[in-house]
Amino acid sequence: MGRKEDNIKKATVVMHILPQIRNLCIAAHIDHGKTTLSDNLIAGAGMMSSDLAGAARVLDFDEQESARGITINAASASMVHAVEGTDYLINLIDTPGHVDFGGDVTRAMRAVDGCFILACAVEGPMPQTETVVRQALKEKVKPVLFINKVDRLINELQVTPEDMLKRFEETIAKVNRLIKQFAPEEFKKSWQVSVMDGTVAFGSAYHNWGITIPYMKKSGVSMTQIFEYCNNEDQKTLASKAPVHEVLLDMAVTKLPGPVQAQPYRIPNIWTGDLDSTIGKAMVSCDPDAELAMMITKIWMDPHAGEVAVGRIYSGSISQGESVYAIGASKPERVQQVSMMVGGDRITVPKVVAGNIAALTGIRSAAAGVTLSRDKDFTPFEAIRHYSDPVVTVAVEPKSMKDLPKFIDALRSLAKSDASLKVTTNQETGEALLAGMGELHLEITVYRIEEEQNIKVSVSPPIVVYREGLQGSNRGRAFEGKSPNRHNRFFFEVEPLTPEVVEALRSGEFKEGTVRPNDGKEVGNKFGALGMDKDLMRKIYAINGTNVLVNDTKGIQGLHETRELIIEAFNEVCVKGPIADEPVQGMFVRLTDAKLHEDAIHRGPAQTIPAVRNGLKGAMMRAKTIILEPMQKAFVSVPNDWLGQVTREVTNRRGIIEDMPSEGEVTTVIGVLPIAETFGFSNDIRAASQGRAVWNTENLGFEMVPPQLFDKVVAQIRTRKGLKPEPNSESYYSD
Amino acid sequence: MADDKKSGLALIGIGPGKVSSMTLEAVELARHADVRLYEAYTALWSEEALQELEQEIGSIQRVMRPTIEQPEDLLEMAKSQLVAVLVVGDPMQATTHIDLQLRAEHVGIPVHVVHGISITTLVPGATGVSNYKFGRSTTLTYPYGDWIATSPLEVMVQNYSQKLHTLVLFDLDPSGAGTGDQRPMQAPDAAESIAKMVAKYKQMELTPEQTEIVEEIDALEVVLCSDLGTDDQRLQTTTIENLGTKGSGRLNCMVLLANLSEIEREAVNRWK
Repeated sequence: MGRKEDNIKKATVVMHILPQIRNLCIAAHIDHGKTTLSDNLIAGAGMMSSDLAGAARVLDFDEQESARGITINAASASMVHAVEGTDYLINLIDTPGHVDFGGDVTRAMRAVDGCFILACAVEGPMPQTETVVRQALKEKVKPVLFINKVDRLINELQVTPEDMLKRFEETIAKVNRLIKQFAPEEFKKSWQVSVMDGTVAFGSAYHNWGITIPYMKKSGVSMTQIFEYCNNEDQKTLASKAPVHEVLLDMAVTKLPGPVQAQPYRIPNIWTGDLDSTIGKAMVSCDPDAELAMMITKIWMDPHAGEVAVGRIYSGSISQGESVYAIGASKPERVQQVSMMVGGDRITVPKVVAGNIAALTGIRSAAAGVTLSRDKDFTPFEAIRHYSDPVVTVAVEPKSMKDLPKFIDALRSLAKSDASLKVTTNQETGEALLAGMGELHLEITVYRIEEEQNIKVSVSPPIVVYREGLQGSNRGRAFEGKSPNRHNRFFFEVEPLTPEVVEALRSGEFKEGTVRPNDGKEVGNKFGALGMDKDLMRKIYAINGTNVLVNDTKGIQGLHETRELIIEAFNEVCVKGPIADEPVQGMFVRLTDAKLHEDAIHRGPAQTIPAVRNGLKGAMMRAKTIILEPMQKAFVSVPNDWLGQVTREVTNRRGIIEDMPSEGEVTTVIGVLPIAETFGFSNDIRAASQGRAVWNTENLGFEMVPPQLFDKVVAQIRTRKGLKPEPNSESYYSD
Repeated sequence: MADDKKSGLALIGIGPGKVSSMTLEAVELARHADVRLYEAYTALWSEEALQELEQEIGSIQRVMRPTIEQPEDLLEMAKSQLVAVLVVGDPMQATTHIDLQLRAEHVGIPVHVVHGISITTLVPGATGVSNYKFGRSTTLTYPYGDWIATSPLEVMVQNYSQKLHTLVLFDLDPSGAGTGDQRPMQAPDAAESIAKMVAKYKQMELTPEQTEIVEEIDALEVVLCSDLGTDDQRLQTTTIENLGTKGSGRLNCMVLLANLSEIEREAVNRWK
């Protein structure tokens, strides 16, 4: 039996010994060496030939990822690692480093209890690292730090040991500040990382070595020796004395919590059900003999098996052949195969128990974020939150109509496997709108349709998604919306919500949709805590995106009957605002008065919906609206000789340069620019720097379009949608 | 008499469903009008009766909700011509036409109203229950997706608890938009509408009395009235429970009975 097979066998045994399980992920900035590190861990643990590590990139399933050199999907891999004679099962979830796929990072965080923060020794923690760390902390995932590419510091930048320590200290301090800022209250102190505690490691994933203070003591490798090995270009010997997988997996086992330790504080964070119920208690104690509770974190398309659902089991176990509900689906589905993932290999096992990561086939209703249970009415894990909304849309259609059924299938599985992608299809024309996080994200999606599904498609130029918002309010000047028969009238006042409330809504602290009257009190109190009038907020009707509707009327007979119709019209306006039919954000709506016809027949949907729609749109026009566009932060690192060309590319695109830190011969231009102007940026930057610039971006949310461009942008959007160039004025909505 | 009216708006009630029950004034003024619009979204005549009407008064044009509720074109026309809006029953009963009248008057267009026999007078008369003892009227609506208006049930419960009868009209527009494809509610549709309302109503905060009425709603008595005022008129006394099994007519409504007097009891027993 080979070492790999031997390890697989061990893994199936250790899986049942809960204290010996660790679920973790690696979170890092793009190009900071994450894939190299994960492959080294897997290779070191005997799950693949060690010569291949670094080159094979087990976790990069897709050809596409290897070609681009960035990891797109979060896949998982299990490995066995012994510490002091005890075998541990390490389930490693890979996470994408590119900002466009931030949704995957959050999802992966749900499946793990611990996380390696990977920071480059040369560049330090980058903004993307910060985003990832924030996401980890929010999900109550405990971090440890690995400072990578230390060899470059020694060999290329020729730092002294003192300089190196100083750089480490800066990086560590930066990470600790983040932890202090974003960790849950109870962990702000205890999760601080430090070299002395052994929660910080450094090394070179590429050259297979790593070190921590505890490992220095164990192995006798000293700082001086590290410098010597690096300077003598003999990192191979260093790797044999302090192999990175040993060091990091030791760190994972000794410093990161197992599921039994973590679930008591993680379950209340990710599950809203009754913690005192049988299943609640079972999840908190990670009981493998209780009822099943599992959350799918990723759907992955296996060329042979089809859809594979990967997720974390919080209680109970899942076995081949049994039937489970994907919560929300009406019928149970049969689990065809249960497996553990080892890089590219799926190893079929009879069952997987609580505390572990399992891969399933046969559950067609599963999608990323879906809960699996044997109880149809099980409270699902919270809807997974995303940090960024889609900002760019392309229209895609198959070139040949005979591909249409295949095309629709392909879109269906894409939408399932990538929650940051929004897909809307027109079943008749076959045209689909793909909305995603950026130009690159959509390019990759189109590539998948073309290359993996072998469907040739035509793609429209990308379109930016805008937002409509309010600049003022019409408080005290309610706008009256009339029904077509004029017997029903609704009065609205609108105003912008405060940034704190918008942020709370955006981060998913409130459940979106219609608020049941019985939940009004609880929801109202939550808004009260954010500085709003809690008595008023208890009369909340609905939340749509970052918009809120409340009923600020008293004693109007028959109003409760039209509640749902009012909400329907509110939802309609939130999705298509008065300025350019674009989504509305950050709006607080109060229904201040209503007059209703005596008979239900004359205040039905055909009367109420237009009345509310006009009332809301008119109120917005009266309050004064603005249009917002998505912004992106670009980090372009370029040798100083090409700096001028690069800054010009940024400023020519309505970009503002925020900072230009330089290090030796390289300067990083940090600019903020509207996404509308970023199409083709990648090519232009490459041309301007003769291919020497390295760049990445981060989405920044929406900012107001400058007033001088307002009319032009609005006219552009409206014309593209086949509307007349100017929006309707307030008076249009009063008739 | 009609000759002195050269332009303006004539809101003409054409009664329940046959030319012979229109008033002479209604026939004359309609005949005299330059344009005759038949408002077809609050109630309907049979096709044969409409043909007979056209022979009597001249050609008519069928109009739906948008023409009446966004009446700019109609009012413009009425400035220079006499525009007759023919409304089944009475033009001002169970309609929203007061709005049309007010709008026309605001812009100085003369409005002539001619009343007709309304369902609101036919129902007490035909069933024999006392018109003094009716509470608020209501209309059962078709559901709209998952939504259904619950106020018809609330009105029924409220009237019943005050020992008042309820005139319950039936919807004739499944789309709710008043733009066409009408399908007047039949007894089984009404039963379904009530069942849906009951399910939703039970989730609301109810007083013990409301709970009691709604729990026993199946047993409550109704008189199902079909095609009143026409040659096909038909009355059936039944319970809400059995409503869904009853055959009905082209246009239907019902009375929910409450606290019948002896004479009323005898009257409604004729339709059992």
